[in-house]
Amino acid sequence: MKIKLTVNGEQHSLDVEPRRILADVLREDCRLTGTHLGCEHGVCGACTVLVDGEAVRACLMLAVQCDGRSVRTVEGLSSPDGEPHPLQRAFSAEHALQCGFCTPGFLMVAAGALEADPTIADDSERIDGLVESNICRCTGYEPIRRAIMRAAAESASRGKP
Amino acid sequence: MEQWTRREDRRLLTGHGRYVADLVVPGCLDAAFVRSTVAHGIVREVDCAAAREVPGVIGAWSAADLSGLPTCTHAAARLQDLPPVPHTLLARLSNEEAVTGREWPALAKERVRYAGEAVAVVVGEDRYRAEDGAAEVVVRIDPLPAVVTPSRAANDSIALFDGLSNTAFTGEAGQPIDESVWQGAAAVVEARYRQQLLMPTPMECRTILAVPEEDGRLSVWSGHQMPHRLRRELAALLDLPVDRIRVVVPDTGGAFGSKSAAFPEFVTVVYLAVTLGRPVRWIEDRLESMTAATRGRGQDQRVRLAADADGHLLAYELQIDADVGAYPHLGVGLPMQTAWMATGPYTTPKVHATVRSVLTNTMVTYPYRGAGRPEATIALERSMDLLARRLGMDPAELRRRNFIPAGSFPYQTPTGRCYDSGDYSTALDLALETIGYGTWRDEQERRRENPDALPLGIGLSCYVERSGGEPGGLHEFAGVEAHEDGTITARCGAAPSGQSHETTFPALVAQALGVEEDRVRLVEGDTDAQPEGLGSFASRSAQVDGAALCHACALLIDRARERAAELWGMPVEEVEWSAGSLRPLRDGSAAIGLAELVKDTGPLRVDDRFESGMGFPFGAHAAVVEVDPELGTVRVLQLVVVDDCGVVLNPAVVRGQAFGSAVQGIGQALYEGIPYGDDGVPQLANGLLDYLLPTAAEIPPIEVKDTRTPTPSTPLGAKGAGESGCIGTPAAIVNAVADALQPADPGLLQMPLTPDVVWRAARAPKYEEAR
Ligand code: FES
Ligand code: FES
Repeated sequence: MKIKLTVNGEQHSLDVEPRRILADVLREDCRLTGTHLGCEHGVCGACTVLVDGEAVRACLMLAVQCDGRSVRTVEGLSSPDGEPHPLQRAFSAEHALQCGFCTPGFLMVAAGALEADPTIADDSERIDGLVESNICRCTGYEPIRRAIMRAAAESASRGKP
Repeated sequence: MEQWTRREDRRLLTGHGRYVADLVVPGCLDAAFVRSTVAHGIVREVDCAAAREVPGVIGAWSAADLSGLPTCTHAAARLQDLPPVPHTLLARLSNEEAVTGREWPALAKERVRYAGEAVAVVVGEDRYRAEDGAAEVVVRIDPLPAVVTPSRAANDSIALFDGLSNTAFTGEAGQPIDESVWQGAAAVVEARYRQQLLMPTPMECRTILAVPEEDGRLSVWSGHQMPHRLRRELAALLDLPVDRIRVVVPDTGGAFGSKSAAFPEFVTVVYLAVTLGRPVRWIEDRLESMTAATRGRGQDQRVRLAADADGHLLAYELQIDADVGAYPHLGVGLPMQTAWMATGPYTTPKVHATVRSVLTNTMVTYPYRGAGRPEATIALERSMDLLARRLGMDPAELRRRNFIPAGSFPYQTPTGRCYDSGDYSTALDLALETIGYGTWRDEQERRRENPDALPLGIGLSCYVERSGGEPGGLHEFAGVEAHEDGTITARCGAAPSGQSHETTFPALVAQALGVEEDRVRLVEGDTDAQPEGLGSFASRSAQVDGAALCHACALLIDRARERAAELWGMPVEEVEWSAGSLRPLRDGSAAIGLAELVKDTGPLRVDDRFESGMGFPFGAHAAVVEVDPELGTVRVLQLVVVDDCGVVLNPAVVRGQAFGSAVQGIGQALYEGIPYGDDGVPQLANGLLDYLLPTAAEIPPIEVKDTRTPTPSTPLGAKGAGESGCIGTPAAIVNAVADALQPADPGLLQMPLTPDVVWRAARAPKYEEAR
């Protein structure tokens, strides 16, 4: 089946089997391997990407469902000039990653929430909710929570006039 | 680089990490395995004919299809039949005797012995095609009764291997204790503990990619802790000299001990790559990992602990029935680690630990973070709390009274360990002070007087672990090389899976040489770039590789001074090294930088083998919990972990590992466990949802502190870090729950402390009532 995906702002015309999941198409067809597969059944969140700005588990979505839609992956998080996203800087500063396998998923969950509502820094429960949605086996989550807080606080203060 | 705290961060945060599944190899095929759905049975039929007809399937084979074959003529190897799975000699994890007569076929032949055991393999153009094919393989297995627990398996009424006992290994540490010791003791406590089976669950499952190269060599990429071991084992299987194989470990998504062997799937994939002459990879998915990857722990323990009326320990006995799974190849001797470490931090004069390793119809047990020490610590520390209660003594005081004093190291334990260093009471004091022990005890009293208050408990756990490895595996290979452009390449045999080596080791080398950090680059995890090595396991990298790198730096400095001395025609004693340059002691004017020296005198590289002693990190963990007796829930109000890993190379990295490890310890205490049915099939219908890994919602306030007692085993003084939470935390939490509920029967509180377990324990007779 022929589909068109906009991935990180770039148009991809693809011919994919209808059964192929979005994560596999991103990884194999678009060669964007930053999106990881930790369970392939919707539990771990490692595969999280943004589809039209909303966080989805890319292992639970078929690529054909995304025809004509816009997908953002971890590769599209930095600005085009290579300047890291505040979340990327904050994750590094807070040691919010060890092996890094879960990291793209957490980044994208947080990026989606932060972009939809830059004020989430004010609501620590909402940040907790974001961290609780994915699994990390290395860090114990606390550094991830701190990193998202830090990036959210930074974005909020930047957004202020 | 200042935007990134670790060198690893840039690529891992921007999606440019390279894990095995990310590597692009043209024409690479994917393997999928057909697995037994029963735990024990006779294989009647495995028919792959239909699978071979599926579009995109390149081939499909049962064990029978891969035996009795003519010798394959591929340049990479002289191969005939699919070889069996090798066994682990390292750290006495397995031995010849245990595996004799018990072959572990890479694909099951006449018999399956665990649910998830592979019976056929299908190779396709991609994983979808391979799985299409796998779905068409016809498998008929006549089920046999299964044995799932070591106690049931030990009576041999159902034998896994005909004519052989299920008990595949026995061992002991220490001397048997005379009955009179128990009879003469003022207090003796006895208990039974179950150390449940756990899934290590790195977020990246196992991976292997095997590529036959045009020059006849074989390249293998794998998320692995021991690339040199993998190379050696594969070379033996394929009957190849080791230098014909290159193993590369790219980014690896966690391991926790579980990625250091040559697994059945690895054997099969490499064999197929060589016989087909094509690249083949196997990217394990989570569902297969949940039945077919190695598990950790799995012991049924019986303990006796005796003390005199003052609380001085007299004797400790630990009997272990270990569940080692269906094959003895990887970890039949692993429970000896528990036996050797049974003494813990105490001066107990008589300690005796016995091990019986029993085969069961479950997947194989193998090291998982802590590997034997959690089992030792939990048994001893739970018993210490029972004893304190029996003696009416404060559990902290009982421990203090029995600690091996700080001045008595090296200390020879009755179970055969020689502890290098320790200061156990300082660690405990820091833990008590940090958690506010006295304040919590007061709160506990208050709550005991208020019938409406939820019971509160305080639990302690003092542990000693062992790092570096076992005798025969305490060395490592490392080297440093100075280049003309002023950069330094450091090499060592380690292979990280998230431990920040790329950041920590260059910093260490830079410090040892006195050069700027960004001039140093680390090379690891590639057997071509670093021909010899042991790997990253047993918390050894900082301790052994760190010390080995420092040793190599010292050699490099010596070599550089010799060369400068020659250059200047003066005795070497008159050449001084400082901050990456050399100068004559007397006349400082002629200083020469390392880069310049290399330019003038040619390449400068040193490589050496470095031998470490064993390290014995230790610590004290303390937990406060609140239990809801009606709901059976446990809320951890506070957790304090104090660890001592000697000299710390990078405090933030060590802290991060201590924290993450404590969270795995919480999982072990409260949530995780593999639910096997009586038929030996894991009950995991909802996949990862059915294995309760801690999520962020389960994380209590955790404070990580340290004391620093350097090991004399290496000049660097670093001991192992990163396993502490799995070792120290579970007993602290279980002791806290027992302290809150005070059940008369300690056996009611077996991990994981699920609401069901806690609810029942809350209803059982209390300790006071039973007396
Ligand atoms: S891989 Fe998609 S949720 Fe785990
Ligand atoms: S950093 Fe390894 S799983 Fe999260």
